[in-house]
Amino acid sequence: MLSSIIWLPVLGALLIGLLPNSSRLIAGITAAASLAVTIVIAAMFNYQDAGLQFIEHLSWIQPLGLDYVLGLDGLSLPLVILNALLLFLAVQSTNKEVDRPRLFYALLLLVGAAVMGAFLAHNLLLFFLFYELELIPLYLLITIWGGERRGYAATKFLIYQALSGMVLLAGFLSWAWFAKTGDFNYESLAATHLPANLQLLFLCIILLGFGIKMPLVPFHTWLPDAYVESSTPVSMLLGGIVSKLGTYGLIRFGLGLFPDAWVIVAPWLALISVVTAVYGSIIAIAQTDIKKTIAYSSVAHLSYVLLAISAGNSLSVLGAVYQMVAHGLILALLFNLVGIIEAKTGTRELAQLHGLLNSQRGLPFVGTMLILTMMASAGIPGMVGFVGEFLSFQGSYLAFPVITIICLGSTGLTSVYFVLIINRALFGKLEENIIYLPKVQGYERVPAIILAILIVLLGVQPNIVISHVQVTTDALVAGVSQDSNTLALLKVNQSEFPTGLSL
Amino acid sequence: MTWLWASVKTYSFAQPTALLNPLSIVLNNSMPNIVEIAVSNDSFTTLVAAVQAAGLVEALQSPGPFTVFAPTDEAFAQLPPGTVQTLVQNPPQLARILKFHVVMGKLTQADLARLKTVTSLEGSMIPVNCENNVFEVKNATVVAADIEADNGIIHVIDRVILMG
Amino acid sequence: MTITTATKIPPSTHEFATVIHRLEAGGAMLPDTPENLMQIIGLYKAYAVPMDFYWRDLLYIAEQVFLDPLPAFKYFLPQEYLDLANHYAGDDADLRIWQKGAASAHPELLEFMEKGRSAKMPKIFHHLLHDRINMEFAEACMQAMYWQRGMGGQFDPYLDTEEYKQNADRAIKAYFKGNPAMLGLYKLFPEMFIEQVRQMSYYSNLGLFWEVMAPVFFEMSDLYDAGKIKSVPDAMNFLVNGIFAVAGRPIYHHVYIRGELFEIIPKSCGFTWLYEAALPYVEAVFYRTAPFRGTKSYNAQAEQVPGEQKDFHYGILYADVNPVGSAGIPPTLLMDDMYHFLPQYLLDYYEQHCRGKDDMLIQLGVSFQRSMYCVTSAVIQALRGALLYPLDDPNPLHLQANRDFFESQIDRFKRPEARLRDIQSQEYR
Repeated sequence: MLSSIIWLPVLGALLIGLLPNSSRLIAGITAAASLAVTIVIAAMFNYQDAGLQFIEHLSWIQPLGLDYVLGLDGLSLPLVILNALLLFLAVQSTNKEVDRPRLFYALLLLVGAAVMGAFLAHNLLLFFLFYELELIPLYLLITIWGGERRGYAATKFLIYQALSGMVLLAGFLSWAWFAKTGDFNYESLAATHLPANLQLLFLCIILLGFGIKMPLVPFHTWLPDAYVESSTPVSMLLGGIVSKLGTYGLIRFGLGLFPDAWVIVAPWLALISVVTAVYGSIIAIAQTDIKKTIAYSSVAHLSYVLLAISAGNSLSVLGAVYQMVAHGLILALLFNLVGIIEAKTGTRELAQLHGLLNSQRGLPFVGTMLILTMMASAGIPGMVGFVGEFLSFQGSYLAFPVITIICLGSTGLTSVYFVLIINRALFGKLEENIIYLPKVQGYERVPAIILAILIVLLGVQPNIVISHVQVTTDALVAGVSQDSNTLALLKVNQSEFPTGLSL
Repeated sequence: MTWLWASVKTYSFAQPTALLNPLSIVLNNSMPNIVEIAVSNDSFTTLVAAVQAAGLVEALQSPGPFTVFAPTDEAFAQLPPGTVQTLVQNPPQLARILKFHVVMGKLTQADLARLKTVTSLEGSMIPVNCENNVFEVKNATVVAADIEADNGIIHVIDRVILMG
Repeated sequence: MTITTATKIPPSTHEFATVIHRLEAGGAMLPDTPENLMQIIGLYKAYAVPMDFYWRDLLYIAEQVFLDPLPAFKYFLPQEYLDLANHYAGDDADLRIWQKGAASAHPELLEFMEKGRSAKMPKIFHHLLHDRINMEFAEACMQAMYWQRGMGGQFDPYLDTEEYKQNADRAIKAYFKGNPAMLGLYKLFPEMFIEQVRQMSYYSNLGLFWEVMAPVFFEMSDLYDAGKIKSVPDAMNFLVNGIFAVAGRPIYHHVYIRGELFEIIPKSCGFTWLYEAALPYVEAVFYRTAPFRGTKSYNAQAEQVPGEQKDFHYGILYADVNPVGSAGIPPTLLMDDMYHFLPQYLLDYYEQHCRGKDDMLIQLGVSFQRSMYCVTSAVIQALRGALLYPLDDPNPLHLQANRDFFESQIDRFKRPEARLRDIQSQEYR
């Protein structure tokens, strides 16, 4: 079952090779099929079970300890759905006149498949394989269909990501070697107990690897280039789901496998996250390119996830997962909208964009959606961003009150740069040199409409996600030693919030 | 100029029919007044009708003295169709246009050449151009100058002049 | 004629020399193309229908609503004013040149007032749903004229005379007879009431102006449909003749209070349609007006708004039509009104360009701009005819005077925001 959602897109990629003339159709159908199967799986998912479900275990290369182990739990489920959804929407938001469509769609599907694999893999080597596999099509997608500085951006992206992968591999290998498990299966590794100093060492290595992926300051410099130079569907995938591999890895392999060491590094992680949040927000304000602002805002917003993970209590980790979903939806929609704006006006420069909300000659639909998404991103209640941030900060406040408050302040900066964009690009008089904009076609609106519905739906009814995630995250943090006081507080909060949020 | 304006206005709505009897000119031994000259001349039928309609006959028979720029029938004919009809239907408006053709005082061509602009009874200015052997009143050309009357002087022009 | 002019005086070196030469040849500022002709005539037609409402309601407000402190129903035109005979239409017209059709309200207007674009329902619902003629546009034009004031003519100075104040005083006292509260207010703030009466006088002024324009535009549309107007100069000349024909139409302000007539501005003042209504209207509305709220932010300290009212250039000849579609601004209101009455040939035409139905308001806004350039051309040619010389005048000095006049008029379109440059091309939509 789980294999099918990985291999359906791969099959699609192969079919595109065989049937050259209908690549968009095939990509759309396979992505939709994969999404459909994912939804079926989600429906069958037992949300009261904290353990792995739908396990597929095939011995593959025994001497290496590389088994084909797939499984799904409450942590990976939302990300898997998000990935399937974004893959489908990325195909939808691809320009119909894209150059070399066969290669493009095939690569896009491969990215989706690889990311899916990484979320499902429960063997460290298998995870690593998928984690690296996603890199090649992404590199090609950036370097072939990117913007002006695509070569530079793609190479930088590849170097950083390869480095991240290498560090991870080194961490995994040495760890397995020390643990002497004989294989790389997650379950067997989780069962081992290493001395604290070794735990700390391996955790730091893994943190470095995922920190580059996320990215965290100071490893973030690849991100704006890669995000900005990518074409719209690619940046939707990059910002929406690929970046979640980093945070997912932190929870799964950091928090999950090294609970004792986690408590030691947590304050430092929180510190890094607040630096990243403030730095990202301030840099975002300074940008004149809308896509760059969004890229930096992504850095800032993902750091809230790190803060929540580092706090390591059940509420904050639940918040972290929720924030990952929120961030994925919001960022994908932002990139989608900016992509439409760029496609219609030929620019992303704030200096050249004015009055896009003009109902006759502007892009009123895109403008409206942009406002909605930016509000969601700024954490306006009633939308998905609010729930993610609210849960994360409520959880992290228990562990790191000062840092949480600073982070809260930086969410205020989100409003600053987004209001700047809204005010300059959307309001005012439509710039005369862009008055003959082509119309936004119906099909171009589909991704935005779907994402916007989800953003609002999950904003007013967060239990849809929370109910599936909570048991797993609770189990995850059970290993993390909690201060007795915070734990007591937590219990109160936990019992309160489902009623409070379900309204 | 308001006092001029007012003084002319008081003459409105006079009964001109009897006054315009050509016989009255014959019977009158002294020099004919402005109205009488206009009536006696075939080329001012439109003007006379207009003056009649606007009720300015009595005013123009008053001692004055006036300087009148009198457009010929051809001049009126140059106006697009309907122009005169609308004016004749509305005496006060017609009177205003006609008053633009009248200046207080008896001004000969020589006087006008010196003055360059004169103020009409309507209140607006009328530029006069007497350079280079022409005698032009605004955009009209004087076809017959210095026709003396009992209560003023007439300059015949080839175009109806309008304010502005 | 071009040839004679060209041989008599050297060609113009003006920035818009082609336009000047076109005007000297008897043309309009708008190039003579069938596409332009179709656009402007179609827009005249679409403009005339709401205009038929505007003038009736303007007169209704000026004559009947008058100083009503809460004029909630001033846009509810009574049958009497719908039946009111246009002086220049119908069989009993004062001037039988545009007498086609009835003198009462146009059938298309009546149909729209009954059904709206939604469905037949009581007037009040059409009003509240804004499914009606946007009378606010007419009021905005009136306000532009009143705010600018002093656009030439004797009407505006008359509003400040003692005579006018006395007339107004009589009407105010009669209107509020038996209403001690308002009379007491009038005692306290007499100028405020006089000011309101002045505004009412401008209502009347604009209403009387448009009473003429509506049948002219209807007639032009009919003549075009009948193939009698074949070019842009034909259309312009029709307007020039129209301007002359009704130039002497009186402009006045009558108020009916309990059936009694009060002449606030009597016809005997001699105010004329051309000097006291048309020319001030063109200056105030086509050229100057004021920036529309909600379209753009201006920084007065950075001198983005001129210090002198005479330097204002925000009228339709200068307007950027793109803000059209933003709620509530006057051009949008008008475009929306005209949109209901577009002839089929224009609907088809707009469908083929830009975004078709989606941005039809802007497309028709640009066509409207073209049509108003044609009207302005007619005004310029009419003024040339009234104040200067025929285009075929043999005297080179006269031709030079015409040239100077045309150039001084076109100088006003040298401003960067002027649309004269744009309308020369068909690509400006």
